[in-house]
Amino acid sequence: MKIGPYDFPDDLYYDREHNWARVDGEAVTQGLTSFGQAIAGEILYAEEPRVGREVKQGEAFMALESGKWVGRVRAMVSGRIVAANGRLEADSALINKDPYGAGWLARITLANPEELKQLLRPSDPAFAAFIAAERSKYGK
Amino acid sequence: MDLYRLGSVSWQESQLIYHALPRLGLEGLVLLRPASPYVCIGYHQDAAEDVDLAACRAGGIPVFRREVGGGAVYLDGGQVFYQLVLSRANPLVQGSKESIYRRLLAPVVAVYRSLGLDATYRPVNDIMVGGRKISGNGAGEIAESVVLVGNLIVDFDYDAMVRVLRVPDEKFRDKVHKSLRENLTTLRRELPTVPPYEGLESRLVHHFAEVLGPLTPRPLPEAVRREAERLAVERTSDDWLLRRSRRSPVQRVRISASAQVIRRVHKAPGGLIRATYEVRDGRLASVDLSGDLFFYPPDGLDALAAALVGTPCAQAEAAIAAFYARHGIESPGVTPADLAALLAG
Repeated sequence: MKIGPYDFPDDLYYDREHNWARVDGEAVTQGLTSFGQAIAGEILYAEEPRVGREVKQGEAFMALESGKWVGRVRAMVSGRIVAANGRLEADSALINKDPYGAGWLARITLANPEELKQLLRPSDPAFAAFIAAERSKYGK
Repeated sequence: MDLYRLGSVSWQESQLIYHALPRLGLEGLVLLRPASPYVCIGYHQDAAEDVDLAACRAGGIPVFRREVGGGAVYLDGGQVFYQLVLSRANPLVQGSKESIYRRLLAPVVAVYRSLGLDATYRPVNDIMVGGRKISGNGAGEIAESVVLVGNLIVDFDYDAMVRVLRVPDEKFRDKVHKSLRENLTTLRRELPTVPPYEGLESRLVHHFAEVLGPLTPRPLPEAVRREAERLAVERTSDDWLLRRSRRSPVQRVRISASAQVIRRVHKAPGGLIRATYEVRDGRLASVDLSGDLFFYPPDGLDALAAALVGTPCAQAEAAIAAFYARHGIESPGVTPADLAALLAG
C-alpha cells in the first residue's frame, strides 16, 4: 500500500511507533517504516542491540540518533533478539535509504504469536486513518 | 508540575538526576549548576576517539556519557542547566522533533529576550544571538519519558573546551578554538553586567511556567536521590564510558547546528590528501589542504584553499575544476573530484 509518498508493503505488520515486522517462521525481522525514517530525519547513529537479550513487546531495546535527539526503538513482539544488523554501525544511513531492506534493525524470536494481533496490517481500516493522522501531526 | 531548584550540585548529580526521574516515572523541571567542571559526551560518541582522556585524567576532569544525543562539551559552573522531564504521553512532546524543540525552548528564548538580547530559535536545537549560539540543547527518550537538557551559557571556558578534545593535530585544534569563539557566545560577552544565577533561574521558572503551567517548588524526593546513587555506580564506570561506539573516518566537531569543523583524509592514486576546514551554513568558511602529493605550481594548493572560501560544499568540485583550468594546475593522480571528496561537509 502506498500512502502519499510512503510505501507500506502489504505483507508486513506495523505498530504505532512506525516500525514494521516481517514474520519469517519462528522469528520476526523488525525495522523502521519509510514514514518512520522520514520523520526521524537523517539517522546519524544506530546502536547495535545485544544478541541474546530477552525483550517484551513494547520494550525499548536499541537507540537511534538523529537531529540532536536519541530515540528508542521498541520491540514489536516479545522474544529473544537473535540477530542485529551489523552494517548499521558503519552506515546508519541504510535505514533512511532502504528501510525495508538493508536498513533492517533486528530479528526477534516470536515467543507469543498472539501478540501479532496487537499490530496493524495495511488492510486494516484503522491503518490508513492512523497514518493520515500521523502525517498531519508531523506535517509530512 | 514539580520544580526542583537545586542550586550548585556535584557534577555527578548535575547529570544523574535527570536520568533518575524518568526511571521513576516522574515529570519535573530541574534547575541546577555543577560545582566543578567535567566533560559530557553524547550517547553515541566514542569517548576514546572524541575526548583526550589522558589530558582529562591529568587535569582531574571527569568524563560522563549521557543518554542524550549531541557531541562532547566542557561544562562547569558558568552555565545554568535546565532539565525538563516529561512523559512520552504529555501533549507538549507530540509532533516533530523541531516542533517539540521550538515549543520547549521558547521559554529559554524568552529569558534571553528579557535580558535585552535579540535571541531567536534556530532549528533544530540552537538559540542564537547575533548569529552566534548562546545555549546548548539536546533531547532524548529515557524510559517512558522525553528529556530536554540545555543551559544558559553565562560563561564558557573556550580554552578548556579545546584542551579536552582529542584532535588529529594542532591545526585542527586551532580551527575549533577559532570557530568556537566566532560561533558560540555567552551572557558575559553580550551583557555589560550579568544577573546573579538566582535571578537567571527565576526568569527560567517564570517563562517555563508559561509553557508548562504552574510550577510547584519541591525538595528532591529521597527516591530520586537513591535512584541517582544507584545509577552512579553504573554510569560512572569505565564499562559505560568506554563502551564501543561507531568510529568515524571523519573527525568532526559540531559547534552549532550551522557550524562545524571537519578533518577528512582521502587516499587518491597520486597520494594521501588531507583537509581541515570549517563549514558554516553549508559553505566553506576556511580551508587548509595538505598531503603527500605533487602539486604544480607549488604554492597552488594554498591558493586553491584560499579561493574555496565562501564556496558551497556541494559546489566544491566545480570550483576546484575551474581553479585548475584558470591556473594550469597539475596534480598527477589527484583530481578535482578527489579534493572535492575531502570537502563534502
